[in-house]
Amino acid sequence: MLDRFRPVRTAATVLVGAALVLSACSAASPGASTGTSAGASASAAPEPNQLLVLEWSGYEAPDFWTDFKTANPTTAVTFEFGSSDADILGKVEGGSQADIYHFYTGWQQFYVDEGLVREIDTSKLTNWDKVPDSFKKLGQVNGKQYFLPWDWGFTSILYNKNHVTGDITSWDALFDPAYSGHVSMWDDGAAAVSVSAYIHGWDETKITADQLAQAEQEWTAQKPLNLHYWTGEYTDFCPEVISGDIWVAYAWQGCYATALADGTQPVAYANPVEGRNSWVGLYGISANTQSYELALKFLDDKLATLTCSNAVTLFYYGCANSEVMAAITDPVLIAAFALDDPSILEHTNFTPPVTNEQRTAWAAMWARVKAAS
Amino acid sequence: MLGRRGTLRFLVVPPFLWLFLLFVAPLTLAIAISLRPELGIIRFGDPWHVSFTQYQSIIDSPSWLRLLGVSALMALVVAAASSVLAFPVAYFLAFRAGARAPFFLILLLVPFATSYLLRVMAWKLLLGSNGAINSFLIWIGLIHEPIGLLLYSQAAVILTLIYVWIPFAALPIYAALQRIDRSYLEAAADLGSGPWTRFFRVTVPLSLPGVLATFFMVFIPTIGEYVTPSLVGGTGGIMYGNLIQDFFTRAGNWPLGSALAVVMLVVTVGLVAVGVRVIDFRRVVS
Repeated sequence: MLDRFRPVRTAATVLVGAALVLSACSAASPGASTGTSAGASASAAPEPNQLLVLEWSGYEAPDFWTDFKTANPTTAVTFEFGSSDADILGKVEGGSQADIYHFYTGWQQFYVDEGLVREIDTSKLTNWDKVPDSFKKLGQVNGKQYFLPWDWGFTSILYNKNHVTGDITSWDALFDPAYSGHVSMWDDGAAAVSVSAYIHGWDETKITADQLAQAEQEWTAQKPLNLHYWTGEYTDFCPEVISGDIWVAYAWQGCYATALADGTQPVAYANPVEGRNSWVGLYGISANTQSYELALKFLDDKLATLTCSNAVTLFYYGCANSEVMAAITDPVLIAAFALDDPSILEHTNFTPPVTNEQRTAWAAMWARVKAAS
Repeated sequence: MLGRRGTLRFLVVPPFLWLFLLFVAPLTLAIAISLRPELGIIRFGDPWHVSFTQYQSIIDSPSWLRLLGVSALMALVVAAASSVLAFPVAYFLAFRAGARAPFFLILLLVPFATSYLLRVMAWKLLLGSNGAINSFLIWIGLIHEPIGLLLYSQAAVILTLIYVWIPFAALPIYAALQRIDRSYLEAAADLGSGPWTRFFRVTVPLSLPGVLATFFMVFIPTIGEYVTPSLVGGTGGIMYGNLIQDFFTRAGNWPLGSALAVVMLVVTVGLVAVGVRVIDFRRVVS
């Protein structure tokens, strides 16, 4: 009787055995756990002439890496995509084969603690001197330069002057019922906590349980004011700013510059009394890369003049090359980056690092807000 | 030459392997991950601390379970409406289209030539404040300001999902209607029943297996839907699947995302089991 199941048992045994062997091989792989040593041992072998970059959708556009493409026409550069900082970290943790990955400030420590990143040899970067020291520091952990700063920008409130009387001067405009149905908050728990911290004057690195509960209550009450929570700057957000459906929104300067250049709606970008938020994009080189030297060249060329200029003029992102930023004369870009306000950085809130506990609690809080009736 | 046993193995083993690798193994992994208390890298051989922390978090967040209930209700409405609306389409194909049935069947399948995302995005163009419906209503003078509720609402999600499902839903019903022995209808006519009586007393009962298969085929995936609510749901049309997606992709919290998925699986299986029990599926099929 039991013989009827023999093929099934045999197949199951083979499968489980194969899974165990594969898992064991994966665990035994030096790159999986030894972090920086993996790259060093691999450097003796000739490097493959190819790069895999774990990016955000849109950054694969050739304009974003044009100097490298021109200098290395035979190198195969391919991209895989992440949809959030957590998603990118999850993919790197999950064994992504990417040589280079791109994420934003706040998440540096996780990559270093988990041995997922290789230190950057800045002596091999020809454009490194053009990066301001304050940006370089953002890429340092434990005194070592693990990350290369590249794109940067602000977060503030973008508003439509046709529908807002006077200027918006506080983040609490997102909670103003006068704009009901025409507000749009970014779909992100950490962003919601930051806004609450700015409004209430809390230290966003030390949010207490009571403060989080208060933030949850306030964001739940704010929920009906939103047209929707936006997820993609140029997919479900900016088009609706330009169409006039969104009047007041949590926004990056990219959409502000886009709407300003479009000219359909009279938009403005607030300078809240609590300060704008600022973020910086960082590139890391995977601990498991077999193409370390090529990855360094790629990152160096990201800082080159044409690539950085493209990021600024075509996509309205700030770039870590200070010479490119200093050469800006376009009034739209000057407004977007507040280059005409020398004191802007004095009242800007830079995104602080988050811990696992914080991101878990903040994401759960935001999920409760979204699920609330 | 393969003997009977060899043939049986040849036929059974590939689908078994397929199911094991792509269904049983991932499901087992999801359950295992849902029992982890912490985030971070999962390495084979690391100590595995079994914990029900994630499930406790779900119990402590009643709004998540409420949303699961809302999603089940939305799935019920979508499945029922899709089945009812697909029936006339299938009936036409089976009984009225005649020799042109293959042509109309191809027409029914034309929407599948475009991507799901595009079809859903098309509804944004229809329902948006500057979309076709609002523009038309303003043009004929029925309204002066665009109706905001058309897009980014629960109703928009339900409407879009029904539209997306109708062509799928028509296929099993069409298959069931095609299998109906036409002599039953002739016999009913010979016994004096009119067209409506034949339809309700013969056609509908005999097509019920197909209709019920359609209902469950729509209901089960719709509970976990997340793409359509993301695109047209706004803050009021969020579904339970969006929470699972958020924890996996935006929060990087695979253990909690897995626990939410396991809860949804259990609830869905439970609801389907209750449904099958209430309907008495065996009697319907027989």
